[in-house]
Amino acid sequence: MNRTIFIDKDKCVGCYSCIVACKLEHSLPPEPVKPPLGNPTGPNLIRVYQVGPQIHDDEVHQYFLPIPCLHCLDAPCIKACPRSALYKDNDTGITLIDEDKCIGCKFCLWVCPYGAPQFYDGRMYLCDLCIHRIGEERQKGRQTACEAACPARAIHVGTTAEISALIGEKAAERAGKEKSI
Amino acid sequence: MQPDKAVITTTCKSCHGGCGVLATVENGKITHIEGNPDSSTRGTMCAKGLASFQEVYNPNRILYPMKRKGDRGEGKWERISWEEALETVAGKIKGSIKKYGAGSVAICQGTGRGYNRYTFRFARSIGTPNIGVPADFCYGPRLAVFGTTVGGRLYCDYHGWGGEYPKTQISWGKQLEITNADGEMAVWFLNSLDKAEHLILIDPRATRLAGRADLWLQVRPGTDAALALGMLNVIINEGLYDRDFVQNWTYGFEKLRERVQEYPPAKVAEITWIPADKIIKAARILATEKPGCIQIGESLEAGNNSIQTLRAIVCLMAVTGNIERPGSMINWVPPDTGPLEEFAMEVPAPEEPAIGADQFKLLSSPPMAMAHMHTIFKQLREGASQIRVMHLQGTNPLVAYPNTKEVKEGLLNAEFLSAADLYMSPTVEYADIVLPAAHWLESDDIHDMHPRFIIGAIHKVVDPPGEAWPDNKIYNELGKRLAPEYWFDNVEEMLNYQLRKANITWKEFTGMGFLAKMGKEQPYYKYKTDYWQKGGGFATNTGKVELYSTVMEKLGYDPLPYYLEPNESPYSTPELAKEYPFILSTGGRSPYYFHSQYRQVPWLRERQPYPIVQIHPETAGSLGIKNGDWVWIETPRGKIKQVAEVFAGIDPGVVVAQASWWYPEDPGPDHGIWKSSANVLTRNDPPFDPAMGSATFRALLCKIYKVEDE
Ligand code: SF4
Ligand code: SF4
Repeated sequence: MNRTIFIDKDKCVGCYSCIVACKLEHSLPPEPVKPPLGNPTGPNLIRVYQVGPQIHDDEVHQYFLPIPCLHCLDAPCIKACPRSALYKDNDTGITLIDEDKCIGCKFCLWVCPYGAPQFYDGRMYLCDLCIHRIGEERQKGRQTACEAACPARAIHVGTTAEISALIGEKAAERAGKEKSI
Repeated sequence: MQPDKAVITTTCKSCHGGCGVLATVENGKITHIEGNPDSSTRGTMCAKGLASFQEVYNPNRILYPMKRKGDRGEGKWERISWEEALETVAGKIKGSIKKYGAGSVAICQGTGRGYNRYTFRFARSIGTPNIGVPADFCYGPRLAVFGTTVGGRLYCDYHGWGGEYPKTQISWGKQLEITNADGEMAVWFLNSLDKAEHLILIDPRATRLAGRADLWLQVRPGTDAALALGMLNVIINEGLYDRDFVQNWTYGFEKLRERVQEYPPAKVAEITWIPADKIIKAARILATEKPGCIQIGESLEAGNNSIQTLRAIVCLMAVTGNIERPGSMINWVPPDTGPLEEFAMEVPAPEEPAIGADQFKLLSSPPMAMAHMHTIFKQLREGASQIRVMHLQGTNPLVAYPNTKEVKEGLLNAEFLSAADLYMSPTVEYADIVLPAAHWLESDDIHDMHPRFIIGAIHKVVDPPGEAWPDNKIYNELGKRLAPEYWFDNVEEMLNYQLRKANITWKEFTGMGFLAKMGKEQPYYKYKTDYWQKGGGFATNTGKVELYSTVMEKLGYDPLPYYLEPNESPYSTPELAKEYPFILSTGGRSPYYFHSQYRQVPWLRERQPYPIVQIHPETAGSLGIKNGDWVWIETPRGKIKQVAEVFAGIDPGVVVAQASWWYPEDPGPDHGIWKSSANVLTRNDPPFDPAMGSATFRALLCKIYKVEDE
């Protein structure tokens, strides 16, 4: 039962709720300190990139793209890791990290096409698709923290079959519309 | 042993708020928060609300009441008891009232935060008309214009309860998708947008929805009234208006028709820098692709023509019949409690006029009469103010009000300053008495930021740190000392009282989470019923939507909307424009901050450590400015620096700086306001908006140049 994440870039508005929702869910640094730091930093298991605006022929091209770990089927990070610290969860296909084995060599970061592995304070952090929330009914079908927080419904997490059905339905709906905004 | 664990339902007010929240508490500590899927906001939350988690346990919080020891701003404090703090504040207020009259006390708060009704009740209960809020440039104009023109506040109908969603949506000087929920929430807006056919974005910048909009009107800052009047010109002259609605339910259409003849699209194109064909297209879409609604931003209020700008926009809604029909703009029926602002209104308003009332008659009109803060600061600065004592409840004037230098001179001339806040802001640093305020996760209250169809229970999740108190408790305890007849034994009784019309108690309400009129309970077309007037009509003098405003006429203002060139512009002040060639808006916002808040919250500050000024690539290139460079922005009032974002979605002649920056990590008392706060640049001189007193934040002139020494 492979789980996957689908990012609907036409819907994302760049509100960055997902990033903070993820920080909260995974208790990620930075922590509040006194006096506050002007430039605190920490790992971000989901990052959102702004593309544009570019203006061509009076048309604005601009979108926002959230990028977590995509939990590749044939994950290059797993192959690259010299200590077999990265592995697939059997039930879900989620790429996970065994922190005890990780030596912080960053090979996974080199080979990941999305820059997903995060290194901070001597540790590697990776999106785990909120594996601990699977089966919990707290968000009525919205599984991960980022999916739950997103006001634009730009993030969908589910089995590949569920995501396939969702994208199919969207395409069918769109076919009837002249221009989708 | 199982840890003691509970999930508590509450309501966020990290912005104006309203998102339903589930907070998990384990052994007395919050361990998690997330959106409540069973609330109207469906489990979603924004970055600011989620990061609240880092506010509850933030070591920078103010923990105890304190009194100043050294000189003002010296940063020397002595911890005192609540008793001493309250006695001191109440004593100062009492003394000032006795010596100089009730009007010598100003009760101030910042952006509306759901405790407005306590601020207003408190001020009225002690008899002062001088309620000091940023109303002239934030939401006050919308309130005044909706009230006088339509008879009540209008909200976008994003809900489909009447069987229709808006077909045409306009987002005007607003980014509801990332910030500043003024009654409507981002998730409602974005959900309804999926069902819309047209999105028209009106903004000087290609903001986040620009890629999705079918039309982007890149308006010159400060010229929105001209645009609205130009659209009205097209709609009326092309006969595209809603004849039935106009004939039966509006007042003064012929006069408006005459007025808009002064604004043909070609002329409006020159004023606004928007090509005429786009203005025409937008007008036709709004008038023919119905229903439609307009999300109106605060940007339209922060200038010298705020009232007439909004009047023109409401006229657009009216002539297109986009009022009270499903999917258009609605005046919601409140929940069974009735509008909670009655809690403030029921206390008789003082006879004495508020400061500025002689000039800005809409600002100081009942029911919500307010003082003109820019006049108060000016009088204080000149040493001639009626105001002696200022109580500041969650407000940061040294960051929020225009012309920081002069605001500071004024504020420091107040004889006594008390301030309640979560953190030592630049303003709190100058207080004589500091009161520690509780966060919403530490408070019991009723969320009703904008009177609408829903109120929510703000349910205390954990105890506040140290001795912090919720805002409502601070007001209640001060109130008991000064005007006991209006105040309550305790907060719970005060909440019970506010809920009484719905026949529920506070305890029952917390179990319900929210109280609303939604779905079939929310009627449309109320003007066709006895809801406002027997036999039908709106709650205005004429019973109609007043295109021609009888209220404005009576107050001596132009009853019809018109355009006024901004105080500073290449056209109104060409000489000044030689030295300061760029149009400056200080309206930049980010999803991480709400006005001057949250720079000490790491999950947010990490996302954006410094303020950003957006500059067109050509302009940046000609000035040798690269993306990420620190840039000086200078106006006749002063100069600040922000980080350049070289941004194609802006006119080469316009720059947009971010508002409300200070650096909590920088040394007090001023915490870096002079470095980057955009209000060092803004203008507090007249002419203000004639009826509202609005100062100018969005259409100024500036020069920019690279910071060379960093
Ligand atoms: S870390 Fe990168 S390479 Fe590895 S599974 Fe995730 S997206 Fe694929
Ligand atoms: S929460 Fe949703 S809309 Fe906001 S940035 Fe993330 S994906 Fe985009």
